[in-house]
Amino acid sequence: MTHESIIGKGVQRVDARGKVTGQTKYAGDMQMPGMHHGKIVFSPHPRARVLEIDCRAAQAMPGVKTVITARDLPGTNRYGYDVAHRPVLIPEGEETRYIGDAVAMVVAASAELASRAAAAVVVRYEVLPALTSPRQAMAAGAYQLHAEAAGNRCCTREFVLGDVAAAFGKAEVVVEHTYFTPRQEQAFLETEAGLAYQDDAGVLHVISSLQDPYGVADDIHLALAIPKSRIHVKGTIVGGGFGGKLNTTIQVHLAAMTCLAKVPVMLVLSREESFVFHPKRHPTEIRLKLGAGRDGTLHALEGEVIADAGPYSGRSPEVLGLTMSALLGPYLIPNVATRAEAIYTNNLDSGAFRGFGAPQAAIARECLLDKLARALAMDPLSLRRKNFIAPGARPTSTMLGDSPVSLELLTERIVEHMGPRPSAPANSSKRIGRAICFDMPVFDVGAIPVLGKSGVGATVEVHSDGGVSVYAGGTELGQGITTILAQMAAEQFALPLERIRVEMSDSWTSPRAGRTSASRLTYGLGNALLLATGRVRKTLLARAGQMLEVAADDLLFEDAEIRIKGVPAKALAFADLAQVCWDRGDQLREEGWFRSAEDRYMYGHTFMAAAADVAVDTATGEIEILKLANVLDMGRVLNPVMAYGQLYGGAIQSLGYGLMENMVTVDGLQKTPSFAEYAIPTALDIPQQFLAEGVETPYPTGPYGAKGIGEAALNCTTPTLLNAIADALGVEINAIPFAQEHVLAAVREQNPTSV
Amino acid sequence: MTRHSLVLKVNGESHALQVEPHRSLLDVLREELGLTGTKKGCDAGDCGACTVLLDGAPVNACLVLAVQADGREVSTIEGVARDGQLHPLQEAFIEHGAAQCGFCTPGILMNSIALLRETPSPTRTEIQEALSGNLCRCTGYVQIIEAIESVAGAGK
Repeated sequence: MTHESIIGKGVQRVDARGKVTGQTKYAGDMQMPGMHHGKIVFSPHPRARVLEIDCRAAQAMPGVKTVITARDLPGTNRYGYDVAHRPVLIPEGEETRYIGDAVAMVVAASAELASRAAAAVVVRYEVLPALTSPRQAMAAGAYQLHAEAAGNRCCTREFVLGDVAAAFGKAEVVVEHTYFTPRQEQAFLETEAGLAYQDDAGVLHVISSLQDPYGVADDIHLALAIPKSRIHVKGTIVGGGFGGKLNTTIQVHLAAMTCLAKVPVMLVLSREESFVFHPKRHPTEIRLKLGAGRDGTLHALEGEVIADAGPYSGRSPEVLGLTMSALLGPYLIPNVATRAEAIYTNNLDSGAFRGFGAPQAAIARECLLDKLARALAMDPLSLRRKNFIAPGARPTSTMLGDSPVSLELLTERIVEHMGPRPSAPANSSKRIGRAICFDMPVFDVGAIPVLGKSGVGATVEVHSDGGVSVYAGGTELGQGITTILAQMAAEQFALPLERIRVEMSDSWTSPRAGRTSASRLTYGLGNALLLATGRVRKTLLARAGQMLEVAADDLLFEDAEIRIKGVPAKALAFADLAQVCWDRGDQLREEGWFRSAEDRYMYGHTFMAAAADVAVDTATGEIEILKLANVLDMGRVLNPVMAYGQLYGGAIQSLGYGLMENMVTVDGLQKTPSFAEYAIPTALDIPQQFLAEGVETPYPTGPYGAKGIGEAALNCTTPTLLNAIADALGVEINAIPFAQEHVLAAVREQNPTSV
Repeated sequence: MTRHSLVLKVNGESHALQVEPHRSLLDVLREELGLTGTKKGCDAGDCGACTVLLDGAPVNACLVLAVQADGREVSTIEGVARDGQLHPLQEAFIEHGAAQCGFCTPGILMNSIALLRETPSPTRTEIQEALSGNLCRCTGYVQIIEAIESVAGAGK
């Protein structure tokens, strides 16, 4: 390649036109002749024994095709990601575990008829006492949600390094704190939706908004005993995922509906149903202790995490693993003893959400570091710099440790972005606060040996007219993977972006690719694609060499042509070459198969800095974010417009987590059922000055040096804002969200006689 | 339930329909007219994904009964581009990366069109206030605001 024309450019997304014209079809926009509509009957009680389900009135309503209960289901009635213990429908005689458990389903001629019929299903319950906190669920005598999980322990992780007891003994300063993080809802704008039908050969097709077509197919097979080779799952363009659509959501229910009703069925969850049904961010209680020398050197870290797993497993082990490594962050701490537990409760379900446990840990870690800085009367930035991880260090056993350490570069950039600390306006109730935090975000580069899944594929095909198709198994959630793959293919063949077509997320026609999560697609699919394009390029160059009577090594791809190096006049148009190859029977469709360096659960890592200036009004409690800066080492910025979009979006989602979002249940019942109660940031909530920058220290094994960045964007902003507010008010923050009322409570506590 | 006859004029085209009085404009647009560009995000007026223009004014279509729109002009995202020519706001959204998952995009575009008609050169704060009823979870709003500012600046 003589020049890189598309990589690094903010080219237009390949899916943008469809999205701005309303032409793009999402799962709920599909239509099919004979299409019926489904509706799920959810349990109103977090824990209750289902005594009797009476469907007669519902079944008799006009337009109702069928009403389904557990006894109608084929198969095991069980599915689930790491433990297959999730029922499709709770049968009579069994207990519900949360208000998102389903007891019946209706298929009817319209969505409205299905809703009315669902409301007419009469269910008798014996309401039982629910476990509504991890501590309650861990206590002796608590009932067990799952026979296999004694003490309601979903999973446990421990990490020990060195000798913490000795290290704390020698430490000159010790700080400790307990932090509480709430349940955060993904709040994607498109709720769970899908269409399912059986074709004339009886093959099941499920077309749905999802993040893992392969996992969905596995779950349908597991629950309904349909042979795997007769299940086809296609992911649509997704209206937001963030992990909330990573586990199977409605697809098993939908498959059952179509198989039993014998008609195509569309199922779309209402916002209220969506808020209840899919797993959210694990609420946590994190107790953390740091021991340091008076000069700020960190000696020891000790801590305990208790996470609310909700009723089912589904990602808790992975989340805990990431929480554990994020407790360390980008710092060198030679003695560590940490432990994390996820506990089953009858609250809403917990699972995957961008960051996967790292955001919770980042809050505890960075807030405790500022507490330590105050105890040492040391500048918080200096404290962190003193303990930055060294180049070449391998942070934990699951990290490859092959990323150059760019923390000093990030420090330089963030300090420049922030400039001098602003001063408070005179005679004002406003106090200014500033904070700088660092993070070491991770992205998946490896296999998932726990499930025996390894490797990522991508296929590229050059058509007879020189157009190119890419087939890849990831899902377009809005993160832009489709465009990234198009850019790479365009780059490899030196073609304009418009000549590339990308088709994604089909469990049959896309090569196996695994899940869309863990910020893994650019790395995995990108590398697989480059292997595929490499093969096709070789074929094209061989044929071109023959036609131009030169060695393949003397040729290059440039400006939609294949040219002889140094003799640009002697060239073949790419389209013409493609036609010749096509006619001569050359193979122009190749699959690349990428396996990671070590065939086990591995992460690459990168570095991030965030800083914020806030003005907190002690009279009104209002929090103004004067400036927020995020600098992320992206390895290589493949598309700056999209990359900055990730930084802005992740920061705002992180802002919401810290300052306003809390999905509240009381006694396992939903208290924040809509966007009116569950506030997410609006256009009014963005910082006054909002700076984002991607720096580039190329990742040795990344495609074009790129790293995964989707989750990184979310980890750092919450603790930065909290520390800035703490700095402004001179208080310790224990719990998020920290909003207006908490500012006022803190001020009142400081000055009991005023306010 | 008795159906009411009404005429919905959508993007300049008239449709004679028979709908039950409780049906929302959103559901009738999507289900009776097949205009699925307008999205249902919450069906409760909280998210703005269903924003359409009713006689030029932005409304949440989930909160308007179809019968209320009888004889009035409804503008949806499908009517924004003319003969394949994109509206300057649509071009700007593409240029600035203002659409990621795209689900909030039609609602935000309709609202922005109404904003710029009403206030051709809005301040950043005015843009933020106008958009405050349109939730976006992906973009963090920055590139959306920049896209609108770029068109407003050009005096379109």
